[in-house]
Amino acid sequence: MRRLEELRAEFDQRDVRVVTISTDPPEDILAERHLHGLQARMLSDVQLAVTDAFGLRNTGFHSAPLAHESVALPVPATLLIDREGKVLWLDLSKDYQRRSDPSVVLAAMRAHFDS
Amino acid sequence: MFFVLFKDGQLRVRRLKAGTKFGITAFTLAACTATLWFYFVRQVNLPDDRTGFVVAFVFAAALGVTAYIKGTSWVGGLPPAVAILISAFLTFTISVSSQSVDTKKVIAVGDEIPHFSAVDDEGQVFDSEALQGHLVLIKFFRAHW
Repeated sequence: MRRLEELRAEFDQRDVRVVTISTDPPEDILAERHLHGLQARMLSDVQLAVTDAFGLRNTGFHSAPLAHESVALPVPATLLIDREGKVLWLDLSKDYQRRSDPSVVLAAMRAHFDS
Repeated sequence: MFFVLFKDGQLRVRRLKAGTKFGITAFTLAACTATLWFYFVRQVNLPDDRTGFVVAFVFAAALGVTAYIKGTSWVGGLPPAVAILISAFLTFTISVSSQSVDTKKVIAVGDEIPHFSAVDDEGQVFDSEALQGHLVLIKFFRAHW
């Protein structure tokens, strides 16, 4: 999240709306928010309804802490969406312990949003 | 290798038992590998190929077992125990951290995103209709732990 915020100027320049979706309950997102300072609409998807709508539920085994409220996790993914709501670019992380690097996201924005 | 101890009112230099040396080596290897592993975890940048980590941990555990076979002192028995525990736990974690998606269900380039609504961190309901007409970046991520 902190890494994504490095692209703030790039988002602003293109007027990109940034939305994040995680399985954290709203109070956890709020409590953690100051740690990364990401200016985004941060949505809570405890039941994985949004995750499932996008087909991004991780069906593999994961080592989440037992106390974590959700039973499953999304596969980390970054999507770029055009003005009509169509997916222009999709980056699925091969591993939930890795995420899209900001440079990869920036290259994709240049390729898809600026053309 | 030697160590110094205070006994009977004077400092004495003793030679380390062979097993204790193995134990200290095992502990050092396991601790360094674990430190590197958690460094990558914090950076959320673990390498795809983790064979090196597994090899290092298995080797550390083997050194730990060798330490006991060779015989250690009472205190010298602690480092190999810690080395074996760290190595076993992290090897297990590395091997079970997998993921997969149902390729028939996953969204693809060119698809229209599904309509969705969810609550944000302030309890406000957000509807995806609000994204119409805008360039959007959506990021799904695992939880904050």
